[in-house]
Amino acid sequence: MGLLRILDVNINYRLKSKVVKAVRNFSLDVNEGDIIGIIGESGSGKSTLAHGLMRILPKNGNMEAAEIVLNGRDISKISDAEFDELRWVEMSIVFQKAMSVLSPVHKIFDQMYDTILAHRPETRKEEAKEKLLGLLSVVNLPSEILKMYPHELSGGMMQRIMICLSLIFNPRLVILDEVTTALDVITQGQLLDEIDRLVKEFGLTVMMITHDIGVVNELCTKIAILYAGELLELGNVKDVIFSPFSPYTKALVESHPDLNPHGSGLKGIPGTLPDLVNPPEGCVFYDRCIYREDRCMERKPDLVDFGKRKVKCLRAGEING
Amino acid sequence: MARNILEVKNLVKYFPVRKFGKKQFVKAVDNLSFSIRDGEIFGVLGESGCGKSTLGRVINRLEQEQSGTIELLGETISGKEYRKDREFRRKMQMVFQNPYDSFDPRVMIYKSIDLPMKINGIDSSPENRLAKMIETMNHAKLTPAEGLLTRYPHELSGGQLQRISILRSVLLNPKFIVADECVSMLDVSVRAGVLNLLLSTQKELGSAMLFITHDISVATYICGRIMVLYAGKIMEIASGEDILRSPLHPYSRALVSYSPTITREEKQRYRISGEVVTPIDPPPGCRFASRCPIVQKKCAVEEPTLRPMGNNRQVACHYV
Repeated sequence: MGLLRILDVNINYRLKSKVVKAVRNFSLDVNEGDIIGIIGESGSGKSTLAHGLMRILPKNGNMEAAEIVLNGRDISKISDAEFDELRWVEMSIVFQKAMSVLSPVHKIFDQMYDTILAHRPETRKEEAKEKLLGLLSVVNLPSEILKMYPHELSGGMMQRIMICLSLIFNPRLVILDEVTTALDVITQGQLLDEIDRLVKEFGLTVMMITHDIGVVNELCTKIAILYAGELLELGNVKDVIFSPFSPYTKALVESHPDLNPHGSGLKGIPGTLPDLVNPPEGCVFYDRCIYREDRCMERKPDLVDFGKRKVKCLRAGEING
Repeated sequence: MARNILEVKNLVKYFPVRKFGKKQFVKAVDNLSFSIRDGEIFGVLGESGCGKSTLGRVINRLEQEQSGTIELLGETISGKEYRKDREFRRKMQMVFQNPYDSFDPRVMIYKSIDLPMKINGIDSSPENRLAKMIETMNHAKLTPAEGLLTRYPHELSGGQLQRISILRSVLLNPKFIVADECVSMLDVSVRAGVLNLLLSTQKELGSAMLFITHDISVATYICGRIMVLYAGKIMEIASGEDILRSPLHPYSRALVSYSPTITREEKQRYRISGEVVTPIDPPPGCRFASRCPIVQKKCAVEEPTLRPMGNNRQVACHYV
């Protein structure tokens, strides 16, 4: 069953004299229980998309959508006040920089209690504490943490607290925005294992935003490849990583050093992102694509359905053999 | 066999910290000994706080060590200040993590490269220096070189600027380069270009390099040998292939097993608990003992020494 249906999302940032079209015509269906990895390099619009979905774009950001249906209700047209009601209750987000999310001068419990009060003002302290202790034990954190200040905790512990915080109202959908990026390898691995367990235990649906295909491969069931604000490929993780249809996905996988010993000849992708003020008429990856043809420049390819996956490339069936 | 270009013996660097008025020390680099061969890219791998950057800065003489010796090409460089020694600075170059911080934002790229060349007497004529710059950049496929040289740092992408930063050091014909996390803030698609540039220049120049990174996949791609650090101590030194395929030290095993990858079908974690500890006045014994899955009584009492295990590898563990 579809939990979230995103149709034709466009997100712009107004700058002084120009408009940056950060996300263009993005559509995605997220089913209940999906763990979908949204992969993109810097400037791909992956975080913009997450912030847009949560309606926390900066003031100069503007999102338009044909529809965004969450739990059967179109939330793209509802008022901000109505959105405030559902934010965190039906859909929550965890950010990359856990350290800068919490206030350094208040204890962890007080801040988490604040969040609870914002949506359920009648909650008593004892109730909140009970709920939080339950959540903390799920992510293997001791109860003393509630009495501590953020600076007393390590990055991995902070990120676990942020995950607890995102789960306090049992939302069905959680967006994880580069949650493991700032962590060390082992801490990251431990956190990924824990997220994996949480997902199964709580029956969560997750949108995992990251730049690391390795992380997606470890955790996710589906993968969406974003480049310069457009969705280029979408499918099951193993299908897409091991036999990519889009030239960009292929190049990305071939640039990933992974665990290969010395000198296996990484390719990299020469060139830079296209200008997002005037995005190209044709394919966004045209400039850097080694499979390009003249027709790729003339018109934008559609996102074509190949059964189990969708690909935005005119030569999608040809490049992988 | 290639001679050793850099020889580090019993290197120690402590930072004083005050905790509740009591003076303590962070033992960032604690009695490290290793050597780097000519023409080798030597990787230093570790998590945050393991002392890898401190090690790089001490070798580069940006920090003074407490004790121990460092020899570069047979000449002792430890115990001295090199602030004003241009010849030394030319021989020993450094590439930093953030290229936008290592270029003056108000100076054109051309000037930022030209000045060090001029100061170090690479060529007395500005025309020749420019020609050399352009040739090197073209060779590294940074084109159009002329166009890039007349720009300012903010007009270039991170990947371009980092490659220019590498070329800037290379143009001084250094004998030794310290690269500190020089690809960690770049996207994968441009990271490959920078890594390949490092590999090719190293091959052509034949200089040795200390490559500091937290990323095991980057380390194994670029480095000949890798030294795994944990809390200021060497855990293992081995070839990239050995570290990947058959890590011996429990910490190396955990590092490899927790690294996200797209080549492994199933996750096979070599589980360890806890988090990285800052080595503030650490207890005796093995630094990794508190997290080690195969820890024994001896580990808390006696510190394991780095011992040879054949095939040019060394491990500091009582029980491997």
